[in-house]
Amino acid sequence: MTGTDRSPMPGGATPGGTVAGVTTLRSGDALAGAAPVVRRVGDTGAHWRRRIAYAVMIAYGILMFVPFAWSVITSFKTQADSVNLSVIPQPVTTEGWTYLFERLDPSLLRLFANSFGIALTVTLSNLVLASLAGYAFARLRFPGREALFLIVLATLMIPDQLRLVPVYLLLNLIGLTRGPLEYLGVVLVMAVMGTNVFLMRQYFLSIPRDIEEAARIDGAGFFTTFWRVMLPLATPALSAVAILQFQGTWNAFFWPLVLLERQYFTIPIALTFFRTEFQTNWPPLMAMVVLATIPILILYVFFQRYFVEGIAASGVKG
Amino acid sequence: MTIASARDRRVSTGIGQRSEALAAYAFIAIPMLLFLVLNIGSILYALFISVFQWNIRSGAGAFIGIANYQNVFKDPIFIRAIQNSVYYAIVWVPLTMAVGLFLAVLVNQKLRGRTFFRAAFYFPAIASSAAVTVLWIFLAQPDGLFNGIRGALGLNPIFQLFGFAPNQNWIGDSHTALNSVILLNAWTTSGTFMLFYLASLQTIPGEVYEAAAIDGAGSWQMFWRITFPLLKPGHYFVATVAVIGALQLFDQARIAGGTTGDPANALMSVVLYLYNLAFFKFDFDRAAAVGLILFAIILTLTLIQRRLFGSAPSW
Repeated sequence: MTGTDRSPMPGGATPGGTVAGVTTLRSGDALAGAAPVVRRVGDTGAHWRRRIAYAVMIAYGILMFVPFAWSVITSFKTQADSVNLSVIPQPVTTEGWTYLFERLDPSLLRLFANSFGIALTVTLSNLVLASLAGYAFARLRFPGREALFLIVLATLMIPDQLRLVPVYLLLNLIGLTRGPLEYLGVVLVMAVMGTNVFLMRQYFLSIPRDIEEAARIDGAGFFTTFWRVMLPLATPALSAVAILQFQGTWNAFFWPLVLLERQYFTIPIALTFFRTEFQTNWPPLMAMVVLATIPILILYVFFQRYFVEGIAASGVKG
Repeated sequence: MTIASARDRRVSTGIGQRSEALAAYAFIAIPMLLFLVLNIGSILYALFISVFQWNIRSGAGAFIGIANYQNVFKDPIFIRAIQNSVYYAIVWVPLTMAVGLFLAVLVNQKLRGRTFFRAAFYFPAIASSAAVTVLWIFLAQPDGLFNGIRGALGLNPIFQLFGFAPNQNWIGDSHTALNSVILLNAWTTSGTFMLFYLASLQTIPGEVYEAAAIDGAGSWQMFWRITFPLLKPGHYFVATVAVIGALQLFDQARIAGGTTGDPANALMSVVLYLYNLAFFKFDFDRAAAVGLILFAIILTLTLIQRRLFGSAPSW
């Protein structure tokens, strides 16, 4: 959504979803079934409807594609040429790209390292913490379980911005707003997301009880049951959490902006470097847009299923 | 069954219960600590800060009750920020929901290549908001692609009717800046709403449509008489998520409008206002107050929506 770190999954903000939501993670193409198309015999209108549908989809698809294509084209233009509407740069130049590699402060490599480091750490910590908590809330019985889970759900309603001042003061108090420890501050704020706990819990609820009961009877402790038996069964949910969290953190703007100093900045924040009051250096900026998008595009091409089904899982309960 | 009885036995022994509870607390200890401190604790801390004079340098000062809240409402820029955020929500939410629903119905048909189109429509939603915003600024500048294409297509006379110059500066002009950001976010987020609606569409059993088809209902009728009403839980869910998101508008406003929401505060959102107070004016007390006001608004709207739509069955 518009202002959150976790744009694709604001939908997690839903107390008590159904198990059905997460079971879609398991089926190969959960969204494919049951399309409400009823074909009637001798219906020539259906033929036209189909053509119109394709025309609209292709037109809208172009609308999705053109801006990104234009950023690639512009990145190979000169600053003077960047405002021309020619599809082929005249001349073709890699100036914009060399600018990125040579003139950025902090360097491009540093920016990428910052982004990757934070995104990987946050993803790992969410995998560990959300699966632990999700399992406990789904399967273990303990006093206060319902109340504590309600707190997890309540966190989904709290806007990040409300937390800005208190979180900043708190991190400042424990010394995480100075030097390289700022990384830790950002990681801590995003270390475990309510959406992920919710997603993992729903998935664990959908796994039949008999499997872990068998392990328990064999004398396995709670942690062994979780680690050896349940976690491997939850691979689809773990994949969804990993991919969505990596993407969300890679794109995160708000917390890195407010908690990091310049040398620790991430790629999205570096995108604000190129604009001055009087002029914007478009070709390197567009090259930067391309670079910021490529990791997500690669992730999307390979793991599209998890993106789509993870989102569907958070939305289907509605 | 042996398994069932084994479970019963475990439940009945106090020791088993206690060790299970201890294990559970160990499992949730770190996540709950983070949630309690960084979320619940934050709200309480914000409440505390907001009733004191509190500055980044001086720290906690005198107790001043609700003065911070009163001062915030006396600031015309805050009023402007509220107006902008409300306008944004009122226009953006229905627009994006409508586009999302339209796309969902479109790609829910049994058409070849629909998986590809779904993926394509969703892509802008997962790209970085910062990247997409600077890209949009580039396209919407006076000599940008958007003005170029409408000129080439001969559409300028139509735009002229609405008072837009051929080289309209969409984001730099205070009259069009907010609407441009609305369009940008409709473009990116409609893909997410499409997926939410798709999931909701799957819950409608196919027999309903078969029955309607036998009764001779056309597809337009079917949509408005069957699909649309049956999607009610979906509407509720998407609307709630959308309103919460809309009121948190920040990234795009900050990137397109700088810290002051230029031009002429046209892009000043409530969150941008809060950010400004905290990090440029160092008024932590008032910033905390604004955060709580925002939270109160979000909470109230969510409850109203819930009332309006009725609660979804699974809540």
